[in-house]
Amino acid sequence: MVNNTAEIGPGASAATRVPGHWIEIRGLAKHFAGEVALDHVDLDIMRGEVHGLVGANGAGKSTLIRCLAGVTVADAGRITIGGEEYRQGSPQAAEKAGLAFIHQELNLVPHFSALENMLLGAPKAKRLGLIDWKRSGAGARAAAEKVGIRFPLETKVSELGIGERWLVMIGKALARDASMIAMDEPTASLSAAETEHLFALIRELARSGVAILYVSHRLDEVLDLSDRITVLRDGEIVGRTLRGSLDKKGLIRAIVGHDVQTREDRKRADVARSGLPLFSARNVARGSAVKDVSFDLWRGEILGLGGLIGAGRTETARLAFGVDRLEAGHFELEGERLAIRGESDAIARGIALVPEERRSQGLMLDQSVAFNITIAALKPLRSIAGLPIVSSGKVRAEAGRMVRRLSIKTPGVGARISGLSGGNQQKALIARWLGHGMKVLIVDEPSRGVDIGAREEIHDAIRDLARAGVGIIVISSDVEELALVADRVVVLHEGRVTGELTGDDITEARIVELSYLDRGELGGEGT
Amino acid sequence: MTNVTAATAERAPDRSAARRRRAILIFVSRYATFIGLLAMIFFFSINAPDTFFSRANFINILSQASLTAIIAAGLTYTLVVGEFDLSIGYVASFVGLMVAGFLAKAGLPIPVAIGLALLIGIGLGLVNGTLVTKVRINAVIATLGVGTMLSGIGFSYSAFPIAMGIPREFTNIAIGRPLFGIPNPVYVMIVVLVVLWIILNKTETGQRMQAVGSNIEAARLSGIRVDRIKMFAFAVAGFCAALTGVLLTSLLGSGTLGAADGYLLDAFAAVFLGSATLREGQFHILGTLVGVLVLAVGFNGLSIFGAPTYFQPIFKGGVLVLAVGLSTLARRYAASG
Repeated sequence: MVNNTAEIGPGASAATRVPGHWIEIRGLAKHFAGEVALDHVDLDIMRGEVHGLVGANGAGKSTLIRCLAGVTVADAGRITIGGEEYRQGSPQAAEKAGLAFIHQELNLVPHFSALENMLLGAPKAKRLGLIDWKRSGAGARAAAEKVGIRFPLETKVSELGIGERWLVMIGKALARDASMIAMDEPTASLSAAETEHLFALIRELARSGVAILYVSHRLDEVLDLSDRITVLRDGEIVGRTLRGSLDKKGLIRAIVGHDVQTREDRKRADVARSGLPLFSARNVARGSAVKDVSFDLWRGEILGLGGLIGAGRTETARLAFGVDRLEAGHFELEGERLAIRGESDAIARGIALVPEERRSQGLMLDQSVAFNITIAALKPLRSIAGLPIVSSGKVRAEAGRMVRRLSIKTPGVGARISGLSGGNQQKALIARWLGHGMKVLIVDEPSRGVDIGAREEIHDAIRDLARAGVGIIVISSDVEELALVADRVVVLHEGRVTGELTGDDITEARIVELSYLDRGELGGEGT
Repeated sequence: MTNVTAATAERAPDRSAARRRRAILIFVSRYATFIGLLAMIFFFSINAPDTFFSRANFINILSQASLTAIIAAGLTYTLVVGEFDLSIGYVASFVGLMVAGFLAKAGLPIPVAIGLALLIGIGLGLVNGTLVTKVRINAVIATLGVGTMLSGIGFSYSAFPIAMGIPREFTNIAIGRPLFGIPNPVYVMIVVLVVLWIILNKTETGQRMQAVGSNIEAARLSGIRVDRIKMFAFAVAGFCAALTGVLLTSLLGSGTLGAADGYLLDAFAAVFLGSATLREGQFHILGTLVGVLVLAVGFNGLSIFGAPTYFQPIFKGGVLVLAVGLSTLARRYAASG
């Protein structure tokens, strides 16, 4: 393995053996089903610092945090805390060591009060075997004061806003004398004022000696807040930097990597983008996920939808496929305004979706390959036209044709689909729509968890379909995939289109840049 | 990397042993019900060759099994789509009472009375289906509620058995032996099972039912109207329950409150026993039939050997627990593959 760790910024190399290191992670490695999640990661966290952790989706941030939290055990490597060996794989050990973790979902019990939540799972003072809430709550109340909770602690969590819930979570951590708090995307659902308050609190906590591990896609915040920033890419640490030694552009470059570039041999289809588009979104919106999305898709074109997780790409796809209802805007198919009333309606009009979660949303795992391929289009497989009896011979023949066309590796069309590899399962899900004569195919995360070879084959299948005249929308968090497969890329950020890339402009760096583009930087377009 | 491969190599024999163990377990769970059924028949035949192993007794077993098989086949449909129907016993009782009322009190012609009774069954199934799919009440609660209400409505209709005024032609339906000395309900059972088997395995609706049961989210995203499919399954369950109720009234010669309530447990025991048969934890019609036969042969043998009546519920409950246990185990092992 080539060590391509880029020490970006001065002082980074000095930061390997400085006294005051509190958590030391050495050589941490983790594989999932043959894929590298963490590759010999060394990381130090000091008390009293805000440590920013950034990286693209799937770079290994979550795995790293899960190892620290005792949820996942690494294959190799060790962690010491304050010089003592840290036993991995035990959430209890994590708590004892003073590590607290606040995930985006905030693990709070909604119908418990703030106080009860703060004391959840903590040892409580008892009198005559009953919980003495007054004495137990003393520590929590002190913590609440410290984080600036102004509402009564007896308030039920269900009645609190998101910002207040964050304060409860931080208070909970402090009530247990947490010496490190890891926060995952804390500002994702906070208002500007709440964000301000949280930042002030984070700085104060750091001053009082608590280490903060700050994980976020919002690079401006990370740059603003962190004393040190660590960049992960493909499970490796590719950059360490101190405050002030790196700007947003540099950080993006580190996240994407210098060496990866758009493949030159990738020929983008010359699609005639004049006249009537095949499919269009016109200012579609729903809730806070999709605020204002417009794009056009032409026949035979592969349109990439880029952006971060939570940018509104999958949500837009769900709107187009009729899973969720539009709140504003509309879709057009061949110039005709659509009013899609549900999935089957969308399919009847020739719009299909290969969903994001292969196992939970796509596959019928206890059924055969043939069943999974043909289930969406049974009508052409009737034994006698007009009679709803399915011919098992035609089902097998049709499935066999698809298996050959997409070169799906399976012991036979009657084999259970659960035995196939992820890539072949994905191809079977694409095959599900081939017999349908659809016009628009939306593929969400086509190659997630799939090896390189299978990814290539899936891309080939997608290109073949496009050549046959289908309009294809590919959603992917993998910028390399978008750069490889898409003829045009539309990038979303927080439910809005931040840019469109065509031809040679489709580079990973440009996609990432647009993914991180905030509304303010759009030059007032967003209003 | 080298130490990783070494580690997997060390674990390899271990894994093949585990695979063999798993294969054996799957085999046992697949054929356990078959083997159990054959073992029971064998045992009873050896020990009671005159009473058990006779044509008359086999016909007796089949006719006892027929009503359970019809109602259990309907229940199978709701379980295939991943739902539950706890109302079937009450529906059968209620419809049985109503058909007696239609004949004895209202004096309707037999075909009209039966037709109405079956329509009530379908209607009640659709009510269950609506509560589960549109109002989104948990199926256990919804069907238990509907069933309990039915027992009250039945009570208000007639607290006493309706026996007087039921025409002989109606009671002859269950007793009649048109061919080979086999009574009508057995033929009805065969027709119902064959039709339901064809629908489930050979039609688009059946494929969609299986898709919904496999992965409801994937089914929805494949354009299947999940709610409609579930409604259909509930309607079939209601129809089958009503059919059982009508046949029971014909067999008893009277419409009695709560007469068919006990079929609920029998049907559940049979269906779960069947789900562990041949396939790993999937509900299917053939399996249900095997499950019903296990129960019927068991009951028959027990009564021939003069087992006290209190032993029947012990056997029934035991089979239910065993069946659900087997079916769950089978599913778990299938999933761990």
